Amino acid sequence: MASVSTSKAEISYIQSGLLSNPPLRADGRALHDFRTISLETGVAPLANGSAHLNIGQNPHDGGGGTEVLAAAKLEVESVDGQGEGVDGGRIVCTVSCSPSAYPHLSAPALDDLQHDMSTLLHQTLAHPSLHPANLGILAGKKSWLLNLDCVVLADAGNTYDALFMAARAALWDCKVPRTRGVEYKAAVAPGAKVSESGEMDVDRDPGEQQSGFDTRSISRAVDFELPDYWDEGEVLGGRDKWPVCVTLNVASSKVHYLDAILQEEAATPLRLLLVFSFPTAASPSLQAMRILGSGELESGQIREFVADGEKYAQRLSDALNGKLKEEDLRRGQKARDRFARR
Amino acid sequence: MGSRVEILNDGGFRSDGRRQYELRDLTIDLSQQGVADGSAIITHGLTQVLVSVFGPREAKMRSQTMHDRANINVEVSVAAFSTGERRKRSRGDKRILEMAATIKSTFEPVVQTSLYPRSQIDVFVQVLQQDGGLLQACINGTTLALANAGIPLLDFVCAVTGGVHSTSPMLDLTLLEENDIPHVTVAVMPKTGKVTLVTMETRLHVERFEEIFRLACEAGKVIHAEIKGAVRERTGRLVAAMGSGPRAGGGDLQDDDAMDG
Repeated sequence: MASVSTSKAEISYIQSGLLSNPPLRADGRALHDFRTISLETGVAPLANGSAHLNIGQNPHDGGGGTEVLAAAKLEVESVDGQGEGVDGGRIVCTVSCSPSAYPHLSAPALDDLQHDMSTLLHQTLAHPSLHPANLGILAGKKSWLLNLDCVVLADAGNTYDALFMAARAALWDCKVPRTRGVEYKAAVAPGAKVSESGEMDVDRDPGEQQSGFDTRSISRAVDFELPDYWDEGEVLGGRDKWPVCVTLNVASSKVHYLDAILQEEAATPLRLLLVFSFPTAASPSLQAMRILGSGELESGQIREFVADGEKYAQRLSDALNGKLKEEDLRRGQKARDRFARR
Repeated sequence: MGSRVEILNDGGFRSDGRRQYELRDLTIDLSQQGVADGSAIITHGLTQVLVSVFGPREAKMRSQTMHDRANINVEVSVAAFSTGERRKRSRGDKRILEMAATIKSTFEPVVQTSLYPRSQIDVFVQVLQQDGGLLQACINGTTLALANAGIPLLDFVCAVTGGVHSTSPMLDLTLLEENDIPHVTVAVMPKTGKVTLVTMETRLHVERFEEIFRLACEAGKVIHAEIKGAVRERTGRLVAAMGSGPRAGGGDLQDDDAMDG
């Protein structure tokens, strides 16, 4: 998605710069360097988890760079077979692009673009292998629907990496409110005949007769309530599994580079998106892979690219985890300390 | 009334601790956003809006151009997480189109469009958070972004919402108050004293209208002072930055001075 008009001469200049030895890029980075990434969590007060991410912000005036806002919002959904609700909850991801990020695109083209991005993000993050365990409320009755909304506010290249990082940060930050099931017990009327087991004698359907072999404990909770508690809830289960994306921009069969700016994206015929998950307890897994652009890729090369991509993704993921823990600390411990000192 | 929030209590305080005529905290960020020619993030309390302005430039669709003046194109998008209840509004949503049309008609008499014939000025409004007073935030943000983009305006446009609780008027309503009491949004041009927008979706007693309207015009002047201060500070910083760097062509200092005079 080149949103700058680039001439043939510029394209060949950028390409020959990337292929020269040592490689040269417009901003002086090495091939596998990222621009500065800044991240802040908890930016949307009405969401359950949110993050604001910027890649390549200009340090002087705070402008420029790819900017993404992501927010996760939970809502309760009935699991009754009529709606879309399923047991254990579900995740829906939506990406919308601000027209100011793509000022040259017409409205239908913008819709197409945000649909492309939504599809990739949704298919990857809503995959069963990543599904958090604590999105269910009452089995067969209620569950949480997690809406992850991302807004691309500005595009200065490498949007997919930014999107996945912002999404990961928002999901990391997301807190699921604690719930408690409510069940009703019929009061034992004074005159009612009480069986030996203490169960009340009520008219039952013959079909509903409980079998003596049935040892399942069936929860009789019919509704739930939100108990008062000091924090906003517990974090999503398995939050270390949320993936990161690295885009390998393939300049030639030998040379690939990371974190392209818009002009470089326009000059690169092939981009390979690799989405990796690095769970703490298990080995890394490749969650998604996309090839963008008109270039070609030999099947033999893919193995190398995936191996390289895993290395970069691991570094990116480690850095992101460090920053997210720091943000948790800033908003938790440090904020409490500051409050206590007042 | 038990659990209901009191709009105005006996001590004269509102639900968020403000007095009747007190405005919410106003913050303005005029730093560069993306590739926009001018942009502004304005926050009225918990309502936050990002406005980006592009242009004057060639229109994407030639049919939209006018031979004698520039066309102002306003697009509003609302982030799905900006409200308490998540609701995805698409670009074609009636409510959003209406708001865009309101902003456009507010600014048409203010922007000197006749200076840029056959061109287009794009205003993209992105709503990030909503807590009442959305239209006023959009209008104030658009004024700032237009000024920041260096587009000639006849005057600043300053908008504020006023409402009335039984007989006591109030300014700058939050969402809670907007849901409960009748309100008017007024956009004024403080220097010329003209009004470019008065809009209302609720019913208001005709005897109350004048008082609210007068108050809103007064409040517009307060907002004007804030906006002007922010623009002045931003421009001052840009001028200082221009002076500190090496000048490209040594000779054009004279020309600049000549232009000012």
